Amino acid sequence: MALKKYFPVFVLPTLVAFIIAFAVPFVLGIYLSFTEFITVADAQWVGIENYIKAFSNDDFINALWFTVRFTVVSVITVNLIAFILASILTKGLKGTNIFRTVFFMPNLIGGIVLGYIWQLIINGVLQTMGVTITYDPKYGFWGLVILMNWQLIGYMMVIYIAGIQNIPSDLIDASKVDGANRWQTLRNVTVPLIMPSITICLFLTLTNSFKLFDQNLALTAGAPSKQTAMLALDIYNTFYSRIGWEGVGQAKAVIFFVIVAVISFVQLALTRKREVEQ
Amino acid sequence: MNSSSKAFSKAVLYAVLAVASAVFLAPILIVVINSFKGKLYISDEPFSLPDGETFAGLENYTSGIEKTEFISAFGWSLFITVFSVLAIVIFTSMTAWYIVRVKNFFTKALYFIFIFSMIVPFQMVMFTMTKTAAELSLDTPWGIILIYLGFGAGLAVFMFCGFLKSVPLEIEEAAMIDGCNPLQTFFMVVFPILRPTAITVAILNAMWIWNDYLLPYLLIGSEYKTIPIAVQYLRGGYGSVDMGALMAMLVLSIVPIIIFYLFCQKYIIKGIVAGAVKG
Amino acid sequence: MASISLKNIFKIFEDGTTAVNDFSLEIEDKEFIILVGPSGCGKSTTLRMIAGLESISKGELMIGDRVVNNVAPKDRDIAMVFQSYALYPHMSVYKNMAFGLELRKLPKAEIDARVREAARILDIEHLLKRKPRALSGGQRQRVALGRAMVRSPAVFLLDEPLSNLDAKLRTTMRTEIKKLHKRLGTTFIYVTHDQTEAMTMADRIVVMKDGVIQQVDTPQRLYDKPFNMFVAGFIGSPQMNFLDALVSVRNSQIYLVLSQNEINVTGVFGLDERLLSYADKYVKVGIRPEDITNDEDFVKKNADKLITAKVEVNEMMGSETYLYLDYAGEKITARVQNARAETDLSVLAVKTDKIHLFDPNTTINIFI
Repeated sequence: MALKKYFPVFVLPTLVAFIIAFAVPFVLGIYLSFTEFITVADAQWVGIENYIKAFSNDDFINALWFTVRFTVVSVITVNLIAFILASILTKGLKGTNIFRTVFFMPNLIGGIVLGYIWQLIINGVLQTMGVTITYDPKYGFWGLVILMNWQLIGYMMVIYIAGIQNIPSDLIDASKVDGANRWQTLRNVTVPLIMPSITICLFLTLTNSFKLFDQNLALTAGAPSKQTAMLALDIYNTFYSRIGWEGVGQAKAVIFFVIVAVISFVQLALTRKREVEQ
Repeated sequence: MNSSSKAFSKAVLYAVLAVASAVFLAPILIVVINSFKGKLYISDEPFSLPDGETFAGLENYTSGIEKTEFISAFGWSLFITVFSVLAIVIFTSMTAWYIVRVKNFFTKALYFIFIFSMIVPFQMVMFTMTKTAAELSLDTPWGIILIYLGFGAGLAVFMFCGFLKSVPLEIEEAAMIDGCNPLQTFFMVVFPILRPTAITVAILNAMWIWNDYLLPYLLIGSEYKTIPIAVQYLRGGYGSVDMGALMAMLVLSIVPIIIFYLFCQKYIIKGIVAGAVKG
Repeated sequence: MASISLKNIFKIFEDGTTAVNDFSLEIEDKEFIILVGPSGCGKSTTLRMIAGLESISKGELMIGDRVVNNVAPKDRDIAMVFQSYALYPHMSVYKNMAFGLELRKLPKAEIDARVREAARILDIEHLLKRKPRALSGGQRQRVALGRAMVRSPAVFLLDEPLSNLDAKLRTTMRTEIKKLHKRLGTTFIYVTHDQTEAMTMADRIVVMKDGVIQQVDTPQRLYDKPFNMFVAGFIGSPQMNFLDALVSVRNSQIYLVLSQNEINVTGVFGLDERLLSYADKYVKVGIRPEDITNDEDFVKKNADKLITAKVEVNEMMGSETYLYLDYAGEKITARVQNARAETDLSVLAVKTDKIHLFDPNTTINIFI
């Protein structure tokens, strides 16, 4: 086909950009994680030393643990609330569109801005107890959870709404005729049929929570003493605030990448299996 | 269910929705209110309305705009977002068409590499990408467009490919018989058909790039500030923070997004759903 | 206007499958040729090679007096109507038809004249401003035809153009396309899997199976003289019945011994040598449903041509009746004029002058 000859026009621009922005940095990143360097040119091979340092680094382990806890709590709360709101908004009530508009809005606001909005509010509340968000890591933790919920619930809700609206009404009717009560209908008809929406919502909340950076930086910046720093922020700090630790930072980044890749695959494999063909 | 209990459950649902709406709107409202208060009163009484003593008029806005060079930050954000989104939509749709229509080992491999890039977190390439880009003198507002094209390619190619697989080949063959060369076929026939997906891709990428902080901060932040960088800059230095200016800047950052949202709501929500389902 | 010549054309796909196998055909100028066969028989691939949408693996394709194997589709002087119509969804009907002409940089007035002329012929003048999605299936079909017409090509290629229409519309469009062919005086090459379309429209039919031409002939000759069992079974509806028969020659009479009856065929074939060579061997007897009758007079007069079969289903079609019969375990169909309710055992006569005999191994008609 004649198209084949048009490779330079159709593919090259994207490919060049992709190589510069992603492919080369990715490969270079893996290489540098085995070296000690300050600038790329002075890299010295050190084997897995950076990885050993990373895993024996308290900040990193703490960040990993904090991130996992945060992700678990956020994924559950965001999806639960989003699903509840979605099922209310698909009951054909008047004003549904206005509510949808309101719930979705926070999603469009950037992470940095979100962080400062909630910092003001949470500090305002904590003030009554005479403390601020950076007083205790548990404030930071729950602050981030609240922020994440506020940002993502609308997004996930919109996806759930689409999923619920796609269920053929015949099926709901059929289950009513079969004598299912509301809970049974939900469990046996609605949930299995919106499995694709659940898959994607879990995936999005999981990866978004795990990779959170901007919100973390703006809300607490890791305070007090790095105890509320999540993985992305810890990696950033290792790179840019600790001279001589660039290699360790890169090793942490590789570990981070592997974890994200593994949970993405496992999660997709698990839920995709439960999806039904319609 | 009888009608009175139906009415009751309806009332309960509305109550739930009303409370939820209040929770969702309050934070924005509180920030707006505080942006009109004197900077010293904000941290002390964030939940009170401004009164004669605390009301500061537009002072926070004028000082904030001045301190952050907000006008130029807005300009850079707009420039980078618009041109990056244009580049992504045009170039990745072309690439996706090539991948879908020219089937060989190379295009298949390319497709998988693009998909793979979607799950790689930014921190993985943060340092090396910044260095590579600087090395190639791409640390400029023009250069960053190329970087965004490279970073956005994964998701965009994936989404365009997904849609293109459902576009019947016969239409393109008809164009070929009508006398189109591949470029004409793409721009006169295929791209118009891709429009819904192009809008989705544009919206998803616009939201990402407009709000992105770390990438532009590392790449061009010292010379060119986008809105998120400007906001963070205001807060970034330790010591006394001008809460008034911060509140005003938060409001100014949110307003364009909300206006955009209210106008394009239909497309945005459709796009989000389409993007999610494709993903 | 042009004749087309296909010489030993092959299409071999990358995975090694041969889609079209040694296809040779001379198509005359202004002829209406229909390629017919079951799906996967290579008919569409052949058409797409003529269009230039598929490359030709081997062989020579000529349109007019030039070899076009390596000529781009747009330069082959052809136009094509696709099964899905392939209208440009974002363009108006007018623009859909004008697009190819605009690309060829024809003067605006000329384009306009041609589009309006085609629209007038196809009776779609009132739809010119609409988008394809606002049209019915039949209207889209017309636009697709119009898009091909305005180009006034030397050859019209049509790939299953009617298969997306409902039954009634298909019948009307059949007539219309036939009329259009007469009016345009252009060579038409038409692909379909529907033998009725082929029989009603074509000047000549090319029957294909597994990439190989089975027979090329006029509809009438295809029906009367099928070359092999495949063609015999494919052409005609309901399908031809096939029964095993032993050829038995006794007292200068030739009998076909079926499982439950004997049929005397001496009167039809005489002592034909080709038939005699099958003496005491089996042949396949092909009998069209319409050649089995329950007409009382005919049955009485043809006592040596009877079959007795059990009626399983009796389907009244109005002017005729289909009998679905069980003949010693074999299912056969009869299409009878007499609408009396046939039940249980039925005695029917075979019009032996219309039967076909095939070699059971080669499946080829023994009289060819």
